[in-house]
Amino acid sequence: MNAGRSLFDYQALIQSLVLRNLTVKYQRSVLGFLWTLLNPLIMIVVLITVFKLVIRIDLPHYWAFLLSGYFVWNFLSSCINAATYTLTEHAHITRSIAFPKEVLVLSAALTRLLEFLAELAVILVVLAIFHHGRLPVSYVLVPALVLLQLILAIGVQMPLATLAVFYKDVDHALPVLLMAMFYLTPVFYPASMIPERFQTLYLLNPFAQLLTLYQQVLYQGQLPSWPLFGVACLSIGTIALLGLAIFNHFKALFAEIL
Amino acid sequence: MANDLAVDCAAVSKRFYIYERSHASLRQLFIQAALRRLPPADRPYFAITDFNLQVRRGEAVAILGHNGCGKSTVLRLIAGVYAPTTGSVRTYGRVATVIELGAGFHPELTGSENIRLYGAILGLHRSELDARHDAVVAFADIGNFIETPVKYYSSGMQARLAFAVAVCVEHEILLLDEVLAVGDEAFRRKCFDHLVHYHARGGTLVIASHDLDTVRRLCSRAIWMQQGRIVMSGDVHQVADAYHASHLG
Repeated sequence: MNAGRSLFDYQALIQSLVLRNLTVKYQRSVLGFLWTLLNPLIMIVVLITVFKLVIRIDLPHYWAFLLSGYFVWNFLSSCINAATYTLTEHAHITRSIAFPKEVLVLSAALTRLLEFLAELAVILVVLAIFHHGRLPVSYVLVPALVLLQLILAIGVQMPLATLAVFYKDVDHALPVLLMAMFYLTPVFYPASMIPERFQTLYLLNPFAQLLTLYQQVLYQGQLPSWPLFGVACLSIGTIALLGLAIFNHFKALFAEIL
Repeated sequence: MANDLAVDCAAVSKRFYIYERSHASLRQLFIQAALRRLPPADRPYFAITDFNLQVRRGEAVAILGHNGCGKSTVLRLIAGVYAPTTGSVRTYGRVATVIELGAGFHPELTGSENIRLYGAILGLHRSELDARHDAVVAFADIGNFIETPVKYYSSGMQARLAFAVAVCVEHEILLLDEVLAVGDEAFRRKCFDHLVHYHARGGTLVIASHDLDTVRRLCSRAIWMQQGRIVMSGDVHQVADAYHASHLG
């Protein structure tokens, strides 16, 4: 069935779904797209207040440090959130039409990617002007990081979406897990603040790898440390392959259970 | 001749699990994940057993039976929505399905936007979407409502739009599930005429229905299903008569 049709043939569907997601999200909202920028900015102000004034993390231009990581975290966590409901949201299509289910997860990730790219453009300009005072050469590596980030998001989304079809528990567990992940990922503190003996263990977390790379490139304006970059490519690639395999193994059952 | 077949179901069975036990423990979950097995089911049951059906190209076949006899499951198997537990299902040609009317519609989008989305779900390319759009709008014939979000539609209007999208998509095999009873008299006639025309041009039809009258007029052959098995198959009038008689008796 549909053997001759690949994901490539469903380009139009992915486009339509992304467009639909954005239309539905922003219609009848006065500030519309500004919200994607505004929400994280409000959060950043809170983080600055707490961690600059109360906990006192001593970093020059702490706001710039936050900017270089928080939006990436925000992208990842909203992708992960979306993964739990995309398949259920489309349950009735899944039950009546045969099409590759990957499309649903992909379009959820791509919708958020578009939003992220718009945010990123603003961040790059703001950091170049107010933080670096010049255009850092390290910016050339941003596309590679965005690609890694997208692959990581999809790699985590696929198995999570699968799990969410079978177990409602995912909905209950996710907020806590995301909260834990937020603290275990260097979003509001640099990975270098982790005690020496935990460093290796800490950097096994692909989220931590990615965020650290982003901070090196955006905040420090330096080329990333290549060993870390290599490890990140490897671990994120592995996660993506595993995630896809899990999804593929179970996807034939989605129509029956949803 | 194998190559004038449109649909070929050979020794198909379909087992479902009824998930009565609503949750498994976390320990079970991990064990199953490790063994790559599905959660345990309380009651596996066969919705379809030993089902054989060959539909030739250009043929119109009706599936008759009471609710829960497996009609919709058969259509979903042919559509590729379900994978058969045993046996094989093959289709030759593009399949269009009208199983759940309006399934792909998003309430916040306008009719026009939904046409594009629905078409894309059915696997149409951008150029095909553009080419078909006007034909769908004309067929649905819901006037200015085409630019209104679907959530403001009456159920009849939604059905019109859904039917219009499905039948205006280029296809060789059309699967219909109990959908000819939608819309008002005029639209029902229009759908019926469309199907007659489609069939006359050599299109293949598989219809699941209770509406014996429609079935007799559209189809040449029928199968009668009971509890997932074919109990009778043959000329549409013979099968419809027998089915009708069983109702009376």
